[in-house]
Amino acid sequence: MARLELKSVGKSFGAARPADGVSLTVEPGEIVVVFGPSGSGKTVLLRMIAGMFEPDEGEILVGGRSIVGAAPERRGIGMAFQNFALFPHMTARDNIASGLGARAAASDAAPRVEAISRLLKIEHVLGHAPRELSNGQKQRTALARALIGYPDVLLLDDPLRNVDAKLRYEMRLELPNLLRRGAAAVLYVTQDYREAMAIADRIAVLVDGRLEQVASAEQIYVTPASVAVARLFGDPSINLAEVTPFAEHGTLSAMVSGAKVRLGSADGHLPDCPCWLGVRPEDLVISVSASEDAIPAHILAVTPMHEKAVLLLRLSDGTEWLTALPPDAPHGAANDAVFVRFAPEAALLFDRATGLRIGLSHRRQAA
Amino acid sequence: MTMLQMLRTSGRVDRKARPRGQILPYVLSLPALLVCVAILVPFVTAAIYSLQRYRLNLPYLRGFIGLQNYIDFLSDPAFWNTFRISLTYTALTVVLELLLGLAIALLLRRPSRFHNAVSIALLLPLMTAPAIAALMWKLMTNPSFGILSYLVSLFGINDFKWASDPSTALFTVVLVDIWVYTPFIMILLLAGLRSLPRQPFEAAALDGVPASFVFFRITLPMLAPYIITASLFRLLDSIQQFDIIYAMTQGGPGDRLMVFQVQAYLEFFQYTNVGRSTALLMILWLITNILSNIFIKNWLRLRARAHHQA
Amino acid sequence: MEHVSLAGRIFRGVALTLILVFFMFPIFWILLMSFQTNEQILRIPPRIYFEPTLANYEALISGQLRTAAGNLQISFMRNLFNSFVLSSAAVVLALLLGVPAAYAFARYKFRLGETIAFTLLSFRFAPPLLVLLPLSLYYQQLGLNDTYFGIVWVYQLIALPLILWIVRGYFEDMSPDIEHAYRLAGHSWREAFTRIAVPLAGPGIAAAGLLSFIFCWNNFVFALILASADKQPVTVGALAFVTASGIQYGQIAAAIVLSVMPTLLLALYAQRYLVEGLSLGAVKG
Repeated sequence: MARLELKSVGKSFGAARPADGVSLTVEPGEIVVVFGPSGSGKTVLLRMIAGMFEPDEGEILVGGRSIVGAAPERRGIGMAFQNFALFPHMTARDNIASGLGARAAASDAAPRVEAISRLLKIEHVLGHAPRELSNGQKQRTALARALIGYPDVLLLDDPLRNVDAKLRYEMRLELPNLLRRGAAAVLYVTQDYREAMAIADRIAVLVDGRLEQVASAEQIYVTPASVAVARLFGDPSINLAEVTPFAEHGTLSAMVSGAKVRLGSADGHLPDCPCWLGVRPEDLVISVSASEDAIPAHILAVTPMHEKAVLLLRLSDGTEWLTALPPDAPHGAANDAVFVRFAPEAALLFDRATGLRIGLSHRRQAA
Repeated sequence: MTMLQMLRTSGRVDRKARPRGQILPYVLSLPALLVCVAILVPFVTAAIYSLQRYRLNLPYLRGFIGLQNYIDFLSDPAFWNTFRISLTYTALTVVLELLLGLAIALLLRRPSRFHNAVSIALLLPLMTAPAIAALMWKLMTNPSFGILSYLVSLFGINDFKWASDPSTALFTVVLVDIWVYTPFIMILLLAGLRSLPRQPFEAAALDGVPASFVFFRITLPMLAPYIITASLFRLLDSIQQFDIIYAMTQGGPGDRLMVFQVQAYLEFFQYTNVGRSTALLMILWLITNILSNIFIKNWLRLRARAHHQA
Repeated sequence: MEHVSLAGRIFRGVALTLILVFFMFPIFWILLMSFQTNEQILRIPPRIYFEPTLANYEALISGQLRTAAGNLQISFMRNLFNSFVLSSAAVVLALLLGVPAAYAFARYKFRLGETIAFTLLSFRFAPPLLVLLPLSLYYQQLGLNDTYFGIVWVYQLIALPLILWIVRGYFEDMSPDIEHAYRLAGHSWREAFTRIAVPLAGPGIAAAGLLSFIFCWNNFVFALILASADKQPVTVGALAFVTASGIQYGQIAAAIVLSVMPTLLLALYAQRYLVEGLSLGAVKG
């Protein structure tokens, strides 16, 4: 089994730069999800690894050997495509068997196709042509084709994009086990942060061709490396306010919409730099009682969702924030005046110039 | 485009880039390139011949005479006769085929089994070799037994000589051209009509807009790119028409049907004057280029406008 | 969609009938003539009812034509054979040359590809004699005059642009990911091309091949200039036959029927492909 390594991989298409100094290592048996908004360069990255185009600079290594310049069929890579890319003139069985390539003897192919299709629960449609399959079956066929040859590296380009919500939910639960079977180094691309969090051992956040952060799902959620990463994870997305923190009696504080909120202890930190303050919606506490550190606001709208209620608030300076509350928690109604608090531990500070997170000493460390 | 440019293109590629991927397209298109070269060489040769005094029967007189062949044409009534007849033939065939083709396409517009069968039946003349089509019409217009001669005689016209009479020869070959090529225009316009968005027509029907307004203000403008494309194809084929006229009358009677390519053919094989023949063809080539440029510009403009409206 | 009045319906019916008569009658009439003796043909007024004869076809097929002036050898079957050989060989060659090139033009954006595609297309619109006349002089020097190969080679002018433009469109409509998937599974470029790309473009290749076959078959001027009697296709042969046989109108009609039958049957058999191929430029453009 082999490790996949990207070393300062860069690629330009005219003025666009879909990959810019991307370095990443995927261990055998590990699932790394490349997550980013559309157009961030995820697909280009996968296609460079697969050999559909070559990087302008940098190295791509599989098991320590460079595969740059090698023909796609010699790279030991399996890939599942977003549009499935099944061969329309072959049955599902032949589609899957083609994944064994020229490597396998014909006698060997049949039992392996049976085995993998049982695992993916498509053994009853093996005789069908792709156009006779449902999207879910197409997707499983494509997956079986990619998995069957036990490739060193497995690339999945947003494989759940074109399947319905129920199937996507089921596959999110199934996929991690399936993908770990062959101990391949798995690189999985998605635009859906929930999918990323459900499947990944580690998430690589790609923004404008650069890796902003590579870490476990929890680390990324709790300690995002930058304001860009913080905004990409979480639904509703993180609340932001422009602040300039200041030190007072050994405490770092900031004025948010007229209220002085505490952000942690001031030791060793640079106050007075323009920052973004970020607070996750679920870390906000709503009450009707005023206090010095409570931000006055009123409720604009209440949106009940199945596992939480989302409130749209307008702070007294006009900033709009969201909170997410358990559905049974008491919350007000539209137009109610309320006060918003959050624990200092919940506060994230980002340098407004660079977008990078400024470490605060009290931060709870991710496990 | 040459080997030199190929080498330059491949030289620009990063050393590390997959070499096969860069060379492969060139290898694949090499045979097609060969065909191109095999066309371009005689084309360039023709251009050179057109600047020469070059008669196959008088090889010792051969030599460069600049534009003399072209200049001679300007004062040659035979050339102006050819020019006039070619343009008349082209204008008549294109306009009549366009009107008839559009009318048929409109009649067949609604897809139905019968309409589709008619449009398939109309494919047959188009798939007949034009030279053979000319022979078919020659048999039908034979003065002694031709069915068409018989039919006009029923109307009291007993002496209708079709292609052998200078006054009706043009009419006859235009008729054959219409028979062969109207289906081409019909097919393109039918495809165009059936691909038009339905909303403008449905809206017009709801508003009770008169049919003539719908036709001139909605159908025609939206169909314009297709009309232009079909006319361009027909225009360029028609001004170069050879098969029908040569098979029917070889340019006669007299020089009544002398069009560009027939005259060039006769200059070459009958008078063995290579210089004059190629010069005449170069003039024709120039005319086709000018025509196609005008049409392509119009096509792009109309297409942009049609898209804008849709 | 539209409400059609009775008068409108009658008008449509009459118009369509007239159109069908105009376009179908010549084919129908020549077919009738081909089964008539000369006496029947020359009868005035012409009749639709007559005793059909196969004598015209027999004469053509046996190559023996009896005329008042004596027996005449005719090589019309030879012309028919030539047409088959020339058109099939030209289409096969054009597919071998054109399909890989069309693939290259569709999959790789490179300047040479665009240049070739447009050069070939622009010569589709250039006067054919402009290329043919100088070529006939070259052919005489090269000994290619009056050879099958020489004629098949110039037929590329007809077949290759059609195949390049139609097949290229089909390749462009196919997702390249399908080929990528096949290659990643361990197959070479060549295998991906022959087992994935070509089968999937099959309908387009068939349409382009059929259309080129018909256009090669129907071509007149290329062979008129480059081929002499024993290599001539039916288009040129039929014209020569008219001159040689003089007043044997029944045989002329039979020769015409034999010349157009192959392409008309092909056209009827594959009309869907034909319409697609013919309207490709205009609809997709």
